[in-house]
Amino acid sequence: MTRRVPFNAVFGAVLIALFVGCSAVSQTPSVPPKHPEELPAGRVDCLECHSDVSTGALKPYGTLRHSRVFIDSHGTYARQGQNLCSACHAPAFCQTCHARKDEMKPNVKMGDRPDRMAPHRGDYIVKHQIDGRLDPGSCFRCHGNKSNAQCRQCHK
Amino acid sequence: MARPTTVVSSGKRLLPVLLAISLLLPLLLAGTSRAADYSVSSKTYLRYYKQEFAGGNKNTYAPLYEYLSADAANLGGTPIAFHFYGWGRVDLSDPSGGTSGKESGDIGSAYLEYLHPQGNAQMKLGRFFLTEGVAVETLDGAFFKVTTPIGIGISGYGGSPVEYSILDNTSVGDSLYGGRLFFSRSGVTEIGVSYLKDKNPFEGKDRELYGGDLWLRLFGPVELTAQASYNQATQGMASQRYALRVVPGSRFDFSGGYEAYSYKDLFQTTLHPAFAVPSIDNTDKVQTIFAVVDWEIFPGLTLELVAKNIRHDNVSTGNANRGEAGFRYAFNEKKDVFGLSAAVVTADWEENEYQEYRGFVTWSPSKLRLTLDALTQQYKKEIDGKKNAVQVVASAGYKVSSSLALSGDLTYTQSPRYEQDYAGMVRATLELGTTTGGKK
Repeated sequence: MTRRVPFNAVFGAVLIALFVGCSAVSQTPSVPPKHPEELPAGRVDCLECHSDVSTGALKPYGTLRHSRVFIDSHGTYARQGQNLCSACHAPAFCQTCHARKDEMKPNVKMGDRPDRMAPHRGDYIVKHQIDGRLDPGSCFRCHGNKSNAQCRQCHK
Repeated sequence: MARPTTVVSSGKRLLPVLLAISLLLPLLLAGTSRAADYSVSSKTYLRYYKQEFAGGNKNTYAPLYEYLSADAANLGGTPIAFHFYGWGRVDLSDPSGGTSGKESGDIGSAYLEYLHPQGNAQMKLGRFFLTEGVAVETLDGAFFKVTTPIGIGISGYGGSPVEYSILDNTSVGDSLYGGRLFFSRSGVTEIGVSYLKDKNPFEGKDRELYGGDLWLRLFGPVELTAQASYNQATQGMASQRYALRVVPGSRFDFSGGYEAYSYKDLFQTTLHPAFAVPSIDNTDKVQTIFAVVDWEIFPGLTLELVAKNIRHDNVSTGNANRGEAGFRYAFNEKKDVFGLSAAVVTADWEENEYQEYRGFVTWSPSKLRLTLDALTQQYKKEIDGKKNAVQVVASAGYKVSSSLALSGDLTYTQSPRYEQDYAGMVRATLELGTTTGGKK
């Protein structure tokens, strides 16, 4: 208990200092709420039109190219901000997969989109026993903090 | 001690208030709207399948799902937007949802958002999905984020967790709050520290996490990313992930790194019984080395390679390697894709070993869209007397108008669970709106 008090005090002090001492918001233009141009089909490659660094997200456009590398690690980038994501993706896009009690697997909903990444294709009920034994942390990222009724049918 | 029962919050206390504010304010602002942008997306699915159970009982299922999302931006000519996402199910035949009966549904998000034109400052109010530092949450509450001219920024959030766990007679969850302090410099770095506290009984203790995250452009196309979380309740490092990424343009992307987590420290915060004792031995620790390559060999043809070495502290689980290779060929102005992939898992124990092969193709001539997806797994050790699993999904669709598309899927599955299983689905997608520009 005594260890938490200093942290809370420091955190509060930093908060107040930021608002009082640095009250002005950065002048850097924000990412526009939506991408001004229609986007082409397929995986997005920002470098087709943009170069260097996104003024809003402050990361190079190449970093955000939707390659397999980016898709596999998109959570790392999303944890630092979602503004650039939401310029092209409606908020509901995230919850197509990151839903809390959805009953349909993403790949069932997107049966007409085999080109999209969806880790639970096939009869995943069988395969998840192996993937869950070997690397449960990869399951935990999406399912750990979920209380899904379907899971509870077996995992009581 | 037995695992606490887990339940899903209905957001009893905050949700009605937040929903009322979230729904009424857009209506009021819409009345004075000069150039509001609206978009509504309706996705309706009718599934049909049968199941035969031991003892001869047969059930027929026909669940009808509606997924609705609505976005209204630029309300009243201000940078305020409203977002909604939810779904519902009605069974037209036998109940398909287990304990949830013939009807079910959920509000995934319903919130107001203010986006400041500078510095990516923003606020959210309502129910929303949040990823911020150590937090990956759905909460009923508020969120703000602001960056100062010197690059230091802060974000904070607070409210009621939408999902929580109850321990015996503890009836409700309590509160969830936290924040992130960060520094960013355009094109060079973003580094942050974060904190989250969820005042609910997670194995008898609050959920309290400290996190760190880093994106650093070392030089040219070489980047370093890192994220780590420390569990205050168990006094241990929950997870760590470090990756080096090389992106020298738009044709090649490589990432390699190290990841580690401790079951005891990572899974203490779970709401899911599969991650809790006795379902899992929480003394184990995992260390993973991984590498991913995405290489566009020539325009349209992309090679994807993934390798992973997974090492467990506990011998009983054993170690494993996963290798995956595949390619994707985009054609028809990138509207269509043909892909093939193969994956192999080798492990200390043969019950963990399998091979997986997949092929898919999409074809979109004019208003038609046809797709075929075939996947098979070959298990090293029999599961319920079988070593193979196969699933084939065929889909055909037609774009009736610029806003309405209809499609149908037929799925065939053969696996250790099914001798043969056929399932059908009809899908109607309606996209309406005044908005222009890119949205996916």
